[in-house]
Amino acid sequence: MEKQVIQSVGFRNIVENGEVTGFQLKIRLPYYRGVYLSQIRPGHLIVDGESFGADEIMWRVNGEDYTYAEMRADCKRHWHPMEPATLIVKKPGGLKQGFHDITYGFCCTHSYMPPFMEALEDPDRPAVIYFREFGENQHHRRLLIV
Amino acid sequence: MYRNTRPGPKRGVALYSYSAEFGFEKTLEDCFEDIHDMGATGVEILANTHIENYPYPTDEWVNYWFSLCDKYQVEPVEYGHWIDLRVLQDRLLTTEEAIERLEQDMRLAHRLGFHVLRTKMSVIDDALNPVENWREIIKGVLPLAEKLELQLCPEIHIPTNLKSQMIQDYVDFIKETGTKCFGLNIDFSVFRTKFSEGEHVDPHFVPNEPEDIIPLLPYIYCCHAKFINMNDDFEETTIPYKEVLLAMKENGYNGYLLSEYEGGDKYDQGYEVGQTLRKHHIMMKNILGY
Repeated sequence: MEKQVIQSVGFRNIVENGEVTGFQLKIRLPYYRGVYLSQIRPGHLIVDGESFGADEIMWRVNGEDYTYAEMRADCKRHWHPMEPATLIVKKPGGLKQGFHDITYGFCCTHSYMPPFMEALEDPDRPAVIYFREFGENQHHRRLLIV
Repeated sequence: MYRNTRPGPKRGVALYSYSAEFGFEKTLEDCFEDIHDMGATGVEILANTHIENYPYPTDEWVNYWFSLCDKYQVEPVEYGHWIDLRVLQDRLLTTEEAIERLEQDMRLAHRLGFHVLRTKMSVIDDALNPVENWREIIKGVLPLAEKLELQLCPEIHIPTNLKSQMIQDYVDFIKETGTKCFGLNIDFSVFRTKFSEGEHVDPHFVPNEPEDIIPLLPYIYCCHAKFINMNDDFEETTIPYKEVLLAMKENGYNGYLLSEYEGGDKYDQGYEVGQTLRKHHIMMKNILGY
């Protein structure tokens, strides 16, 4: 696992029945402790200016796939900081060969932060309350598709 | 399993201190060996950080956990966890749901050999007051706590004062229920007297005097030996450590002092928190005499 949130390993197009149906990338949780899926507040994934919202991204955590709606309701399954999650995006034809600029934002709720402070956070904007052990909300990386 | 039976305060380490290195430069076993190097004999984990497949670890992992405790002569001291009533974003959990989740953590703590839990309840304001139904939640789990011989301890942290109403409420609850299964974890940040220039300090914070801890000792089952700045003469420069530790030792405290380092500089490239923890243990060893 790399210290960057967006991992270089795992970024590729997804091929199903010989067709490229989309792409995937892996992210780690930059928080010092794990969270239940319902605590995650996903923002937008932007690849070369094209934006994908939370409802267009499937998360794979511990080998199981979840839509955003399923994640919001699931307070039993847990995302561990040592286990990167895979983001899966449907995009017929996938991403073309070469470099891609990737931006992804997400944050999490914290039971020990007063609720009014938590409400200030927007996953698509830099953290309002920034602690290094909480990590930033938005992450960038430039990676290659072969 | 190894247990340190020496009377008096005992030295341990909160694995939270390794948060910048855990999973990268250091494995769980590296942390255990580091603790052993310091002559410390106890460990605190954060359940959702240090337990693989939390909250459903495999028996194989649990065996691995005990093998580390045996190999490095380190005992499970405190199981750090949260009761998160806001785990669902659109509503608060009910008291019954909170009890069910808390009992899951209690069973897991017991399975891993812990007797003390650092039970962090959701806070409702910036004075860190806990959710209003905390009494109902804790009362609901006391029978299981008795059965599994567990002690649930909220952590008392800056800006809370040991003489505040929040602490009095906890002590009243202990006296009313007569329970030995609920107590306190004092974080030494409550004794902090020095702050760096420009550092945010809660305007309501009043540092405690070292002797303020004495009347609470019967209810304290564990402490976070928080430290902020260790100099190269092995002195903590912001907290009157010698006075606090001696007050505890002389008044019969038998629990653990778990070193906890949360300075943001531990995330700097090349920072070695193990060396910072060693400085802290040199100081505590010198004060305690062991």
